[in-house]
Amino acid sequence: MLSAMPFQLRLASALALVTLTSATFAAAPAKVDFSHQIVPILREHCGECHTGDKKKGSFSMNDRASLLAGGESGKAVLPGNSAKSPLIAAITSKDPDKQMPPKGTRLSPEKVKLLRDWIDAGAVWEEGFAFKKPAYEPPLKPRRPTLPPAVAGRTNPVDRILDADLAKRKAVPPKPVDDATFARRAHLDLVGLLPEPEALAKFLADKSADKRAALVRSLLAHDTAYAEHWLTFWNDLLRNDYSGTGFITGGRKQITKWLYRALVENRPYDQFARELIAYTPDSEGFAAGIKWRGDVSAGATTEIQFAQSVGQSFLGINLKCASCHDSFIDRWKLEEAYGLAAIYATGKLELHRCDKPVGKTAQASWLFPELGQVDAKAPQPERLKQLAALMTHPENGRFTRTIVNRLWHRLMGRGIVHPTDAMQSEPWNHDLLDFLATHLAENKFDLKKTLELIATSAAYQSHAQILGKDADEQAYAYAGPRAKRLTAEQFVDTVWQITGTAPTRFDAQIVRGKPSTEAVEAMKLTGQWIWSHADAGNAKAGETFTARKKFTLKSAPVRAGAVATADNEFKLYINGALVASGDNWENPEAIALETKLKAGANDIVLVAKNGGSGPNPAGVIFEARIKLADGSTETIGTDPTWETLKSPPDAKGKFKSEPAAAEGNAVAVANSALWNVKVGKQLATQLAQAATSTQPMVRASLLKNDFLMRALGRPHREQIVSVRPADLNTLEAIDLNNGQTLATRLEQGASRLLAKPWPSSDALTQWLYQFALARTPTPAELSLAREVLGEKPTSQGVQDLLWAVLMLPEFQLVR
Amino acid sequence: MNALPLDPQNTRRDFLQKLAAATATTMAMGAPRLLANEKVVHPKATADSCILIWMGGGMAAPDTFDPKRYQPFEKGVPVKNILSTFPAIPTAVDGVKICQGLEQIASVMDRATLIRSATQPDLGHILHSRHQYHWHTGYVPPQTVAAPHLGAWMAKVLGPRNPVMPAFINVGQRLEGVGEQEELKAFTTAGFFGNEFGPMNLPYPDDAAQSVRPPKGMEPGRFDNRYSLYRKLVDKNPHREFMSDFQQESMLRSLDNAHRLLSSKERAAFDLSLEPKESYAKYNTGRFGQGCLLARRLVENGARFVEVTTEYIPFVHWDTHKDGHETVAGMHKMMDAPIAQLIRDLEARGLLNRTLVVIASEFSRDAMIEGIPGSNAKDQTTHPTETLQEMKHYGLHRHFTGGTSVVMFGGGVKKGFVYGQTADERPLIAVKNPMPVMDLHATIFTAMGISPKTAFDIEGRPFYATEDGKGKAAKEIFA
Repeated sequence: MLSAMPFQLRLASALALVTLTSATFAAAPAKVDFSHQIVPILREHCGECHTGDKKKGSFSMNDRASLLAGGESGKAVLPGNSAKSPLIAAITSKDPDKQMPPKGTRLSPEKVKLLRDWIDAGAVWEEGFAFKKPAYEPPLKPRRPTLPPAVAGRTNPVDRILDADLAKRKAVPPKPVDDATFARRAHLDLVGLLPEPEALAKFLADKSADKRAALVRSLLAHDTAYAEHWLTFWNDLLRNDYSGTGFITGGRKQITKWLYRALVENRPYDQFARELIAYTPDSEGFAAGIKWRGDVSAGATTEIQFAQSVGQSFLGINLKCASCHDSFIDRWKLEEAYGLAAIYATGKLELHRCDKPVGKTAQASWLFPELGQVDAKAPQPERLKQLAALMTHPENGRFTRTIVNRLWHRLMGRGIVHPTDAMQSEPWNHDLLDFLATHLAENKFDLKKTLELIATSAAYQSHAQILGKDADEQAYAYAGPRAKRLTAEQFVDTVWQITGTAPTRFDAQIVRGKPSTEAVEAMKLTGQWIWSHADAGNAKAGETFTARKKFTLKSAPVRAGAVATADNEFKLYINGALVASGDNWENPEAIALETKLKAGANDIVLVAKNGGSGPNPAGVIFEARIKLADGSTETIGTDPTWETLKSPPDAKGKFKSEPAAAEGNAVAVANSALWNVKVGKQLATQLAQAATSTQPMVRASLLKNDFLMRALGRPHREQIVSVRPADLNTLEAIDLNNGQTLATRLEQGASRLLAKPWPSSDALTQWLYQFALARTPTPAELSLAREVLGEKPTSQGVQDLLWAVLMLPEFQLVR
Repeated sequence: MNALPLDPQNTRRDFLQKLAAATATTMAMGAPRLLANEKVVHPKATADSCILIWMGGGMAAPDTFDPKRYQPFEKGVPVKNILSTFPAIPTAVDGVKICQGLEQIASVMDRATLIRSATQPDLGHILHSRHQYHWHTGYVPPQTVAAPHLGAWMAKVLGPRNPVMPAFINVGQRLEGVGEQEELKAFTTAGFFGNEFGPMNLPYPDDAAQSVRPPKGMEPGRFDNRYSLYRKLVDKNPHREFMSDFQQESMLRSLDNAHRLLSSKERAAFDLSLEPKESYAKYNTGRFGQGCLLARRLVENGARFVEVTTEYIPFVHWDTHKDGHETVAGMHKMMDAPIAQLIRDLEARGLLNRTLVVIASEFSRDAMIEGIPGSNAKDQTTHPTETLQEMKHYGLHRHFTGGTSVVMFGGGVKKGFVYGQTADERPLIAVKNPMPVMDLHATIFTAMGISPKTAFDIEGRPFYATEDGKGKAAKEIFA
């Protein structure tokens, strides 16, 4: 679609054409009736492409001002001079590439004459007339609406706004759902998991009045579960993944580590966006986009990708059209898309229209100059900082509206502006959108506060709207939340929950979770800062130190984590593979080691390099805590028992032959206190993180995309895909029917379940319904289950019941 | 939504329901809509099915369907003398020759239109997966929306021929565990059309039956019982009426379709063990040959679009960067018998007239020139180009985009016809009727009754079956 707009080109050339072949005499123009003679002609022959929101070739005749303004190639109508008006040339041209309209019936000579006469008479227009009401332009500034009074004690601002809306339409508020339905919905929406049966029972038994709000708050406080659920949403929106196109040639960088920490720490959204725009090495991947090997068209360079991604992810603006030519469907222009791209560009960026240079250099600029502008002359990092500041400017209501609308969509099943990437369109409720947006800003951009506000509303807690087979989307009116289909990740996670078959390994290069304060307090490092010689305080610039530790483990670790940092950089190799690296000594790395260490002999090689330009202090520190199956813990820390090697391993971490040891071992660096003062606390935190933070069930969001998830709609993440498919389709269903992945999980799940003592097969069914559907089975359902389970359930019977329940629409929907 | 298995008595009602369901879900996700304001007239189809035989990795035209001056291996021969490394042989069509090693295909060339003038762009680096993306979707990556595969267009616009048979089946290409797998996945998809129109992937033809069988270890009786339990649980579900119909219906319909295929008689089409031994042997040159047999069985049972590939694996099969001659001799062996047999079998069954079989590749190869003369394409070979010293350097080892052969059989194309021509001396570029990818696609779409101008609206923009709707079918090749 880089140049998918042929008609507009044609129009542009047609308008540029001034035919001199027919000498037209400017006879005294006849009296023309605009409303009855001109409007019908324009509507019939030009209206499809040049009225309302349509403006092919950037030319609209929706109202007189736009008619006279002309299009990309200049004026179309010169009042009083039909002979020189390109519009007349276009409608009379015989050249199929230039004529207007490009297809369909030609204008009759009578109609052409009417138009000539009308133009010669000054192109008189009826005051205030427009073919269609002008395109909606969303307000930019934030606005805090006055809240209507609460009705029936429903004080949540969301309810006050929606109740007023319902009252105005004389519509009845949807009925509230029961506690169990609410609990299932809140769990799946906020942390992406089913409520465990015990937790659900406890919640149902709870008699306190505010238990729903308390549940919402407690779910949002589950940092790890929250982060690992919302990781899916953000990976989609920021097109981050652990495998995919571009990685093979190094044309793409993950932001996983950065994103995961940002979510676990619930980083304020304004800061979050600033870090993505004015990026650090860890968050660079979003701005950098995907660089393909070979030539790409002008509309697909990484600079243009930057403009498109920033526009779509943060502002709900689709700049894909405007990256190639002035958009026909909204107000964005080629120069604006290139302006945004030029903020990121490090060299000169030539403006291209439909992949052809137009002889202009893009000026770095951003989309809403009314809030301020970037300095096009500033260096790139400075420009990005300025863009980040403008994006998160307190007066940029578009930024907050876009994200709260996305969160509303995730929880309520439909955007206030819909689709959520089309923020240029009108919301169905201005007050609701504006309130949520200002609420976010007032709450220091804490996204969890927005989620809490929505999830604690009566609106969220009401029955899902029941749509017929023919939901009329054109005239949306709020009538309760809408059921959502489980995402691929939610489906996989819930299957793992019920069957207890989650994998123990995952692909995302992160250390999961967050350590407890106590664990950080209790963490005392034993590792020492070491270097190859005693004069480490005056190590040469660029000096390299290779240290090795060999040790044996009596069994494979059940948990192992480490921390490392070096002044100035290090690479860590374990058993001949690169495991971690760092080049900022003030930012120690937490490293997960469970899968890197093995029973028997292990070796760790640290390659550290000093920086600077003259002699300066050098040192490296590492410590691992390894927990074995028998409960014992091994600590491996840098100290003078580490060997010093003469040369580092190759880039892959391998030694061609057994490396020669230097004379003597590593030396503990004197005066390491200075480092410890600065990073001692962080070293302890990171080690506690790596070695002790809780490790709940591995989540599908941490795994590479696989066949099942792809089939269930997890996108390839080569483009930003912010909304997943709402339908289950036949090919997916085939896989759910006979795919090996699911079948294996069900088999393992069945044996796990059968290992438990069930008083009766009904008890098993009841447990399953509680877990999967958060309700008790009806007698009819119990009896159907009994038919397949019998009195003494077999593995096959349990598998079949599991399958049948997992396939129920009731299960596959967050209803 | 494509056509789906219907209860004949309820056809109309069901159809309306589906339409409504499609409307509701489509709008809910901003999915593509067929552009209403483009007045597209679909041509009359000359084919109902299409089998794309994909020669992944760059099939050298001068060593297959467009033989040039033959130069056998000799130590010290200048590399520039090498145009073809196989001598030409006659075919069933007077005056038309192809390369030695393709004798069986030669015998059925009187049923073929041989296009010798297909061309591709140079994209700087001439990379296989990027050109394959372009060839399969009609668009050069990267794209701002996920572009649908040719087969997905057929599935979307035409739907399945037989309601139980998936419309788009992709045979022979592994998408896991091979090089450039992510790049392959990027175009082996229905893109923005959504998975409903995506491929059913059958990388191992011999194991295809497993894809439409109940899970391993589940006998048919239990499989049916499980589904019947499921349907009863759905019927007794106390929340059934409290959930939106369109969401439930689409889930139930899809599961029903799946179950229907998995218990249908057409399921047998996937099972190569049911093919008579003698016939199986005629095809069995390995996974590719089996794939051709599978394609025939699928088309016999109503498949719409089947792609069968020799499989793209970097530096394997057609991706010849050394030992080119010997590797291509092996490829000849792999392809000759099964392709010829496929054509004969389709003809014998009266299916060839309405089945378009297309043999194509992402580009051709040459011993000397990378890309086309004057391009900025980077050299892909490292071995000496002055004189030939070693047998392993004998072959067409460079990517060439200036003139590629495409063979079409059946489906309304002329028989024993040659379209386009390449030069007889280097550069071997198309000198007559050059046919870029968009025109080749337009020709295939036209045969299938799809206008190359067909457009869908995605994110408010038109997306055409051929780039900008500009692809033009080569009318001369139609009978």
